[in-house]
Amino acid sequence: MLFVNKKKKIQSQISEYCQSVLECLDAFQQAVKHYCQAPDREAAKAAFAEVHKSESKADDIRREIEVVMYSKALFPESRGDILGLLETMDKVPNQAESAIRMIWNQHVTIPEKYHPQILQLVDVCSRTVDAMVDAAEKLFSDFTNAAVAVGKIDELESEADKIEAGLIEEVFSEPVDGIATIVFRDLIKQIAHISDRAENVGDKIRIIVAKRTI
Amino acid sequence: MLPLTGGLYLGWALGANDASNVFGTAVASRIISFRKACVLCSVAIILGAMLQGEGGIHTLSGLTAQTQTSLLVVSVSAAITVTLMTIMRLPISTSQAIVGSIAGISLATDSMHWGGLAKVVICWIATPIGAMVIAYVLYKLLAAFIRHVPMSILTRDKILWGGLLIVGTYGSYALGANNVANATGIFSGQIEGISDSQLALFGGIAIAVGVLTYSKRVMMAVGSGVMPMDAFTAFVAVSSMAVTVHIFAVIGVPVSTSQAIIGSIMGIGAIRGVYAIKFRSLRNIGFGWLLTPAISLILASAGYAIFCI
Repeated sequence: MLFVNKKKKIQSQISEYCQSVLECLDAFQQAVKHYCQAPDREAAKAAFAEVHKSESKADDIRREIEVVMYSKALFPESRGDILGLLETMDKVPNQAESAIRMIWNQHVTIPEKYHPQILQLVDVCSRTVDAMVDAAEKLFSDFTNAAVAVGKIDELESEADKIEAGLIEEVFSEPVDGIATIVFRDLIKQIAHISDRAENVGDKIRIIVAKRTI
Repeated sequence: MLPLTGGLYLGWALGANDASNVFGTAVASRIISFRKACVLCSVAIILGAMLQGEGGIHTLSGLTAQTQTSLLVVSVSAAITVTLMTIMRLPISTSQAIVGSIAGISLATDSMHWGGLAKVVICWIATPIGAMVIAYVLYKLLAAFIRHVPMSILTRDKILWGGLLIVGTYGSYALGANNVANATGIFSGQIEGISDSQLALFGGIAIAVGVLTYSKRVMMAVGSGVMPMDAFTAFVAVSSMAVTVHIFAVIGVPVSTSQAIIGSIMGIGAIRGVYAIKFRSLRNIGFGWLLTPAISLILASAGYAIFCI
């Protein structure tokens, strides 16, 4: 009975954590969109703060899950796998926050002509994270199909890579505007890293499923 | 009554060595705590010994005719052999130890009942083969079930955790039912005023005490020694071992849980690939199996020469 209750609690907490990751990415997408539309630091401040808030919320939920997990409710192997998965998943909202921090701290300007590509990159990264959450949730409903869901992450990550590479190439195809161009390139990389982090989660899920494949 | 103390010592040694085959994998992989495994195992062993242990007692008592002194020599020789192997962390066959001892004395006195011995030896060969076949079939059936039923990894854990507790308890029951004969079987009809059911009870209790006091050494060695096992393979291995040993308990032949669990692991290895099996550990265990009857035979012969001639 104890095991059943713990199981339900962990399942609902993980679902809550996944939702908070999605909220963070949603806030990130809104913040970048807002900044592109009105590149005013003060105006974007609230949207940026929202990303930080949702990232902190995700952190809090993850820590709560860790406490429950350490109460020895699960097989040690599963405990290690799930904790490892959460640690890897946590890097996704962290990366979104890191990109936002970069814009804020380094006063990054996104040239208007690149707005469509930047927003497209953010959108693809956001969809990669959606696919990641879908695959992670599958582990807790129908784990044998989680590996299939991981395929979608790979597809979207490749798409993000292509946009990133195309954008950087385009930025450097024009006369380089010194430090601003380098900083802008770094921002592109920071944003694209979100999908890389999601892909790492996909790899982790693939291993968790493979270990349990009979 | 004095010879029975040798049987009780043998029962203790058996419990210390053979509990590893039942709960070793689950305890070593920290799925079930050692304390919980010991309590479940002990209770089930006593129940198995009392409810279905008499068949094996009849078989073993029919192997040879013994005097009071030779009974003591036989049981103590086998017990020392099993204790030595336990100290060396080798899961061995107590049946082989006791039969080796009986053979040592019976050959010296020319009193061996060859028909009974042949039945026991045939069952020793059939044990790992039977366990291997059962493990193979069980693995395939359960794998097909798990593949086609959508479930979360947590539900899978829950099912396997409950399953391991159940088959571990069942395996302990089968161990008690089958192996109590090794501890007290040779005393059947030899001690006035003690019935076979009482022998089964005393033997069961002695085995349970062995589990509770000295089983951790071999349990940890078996659990992680032969092949790294996850919860699913541990479940299949213990189930197959339990079914095999229980079948032999019903037939009335004491067989080795060690041989049954190794047979089960081989059956799983046939499906998953033998690369996972640690052949060095397996070689050591096989070496222990060869040494066991030889050592107990020598000890019993020496004991007979010293105390009975």
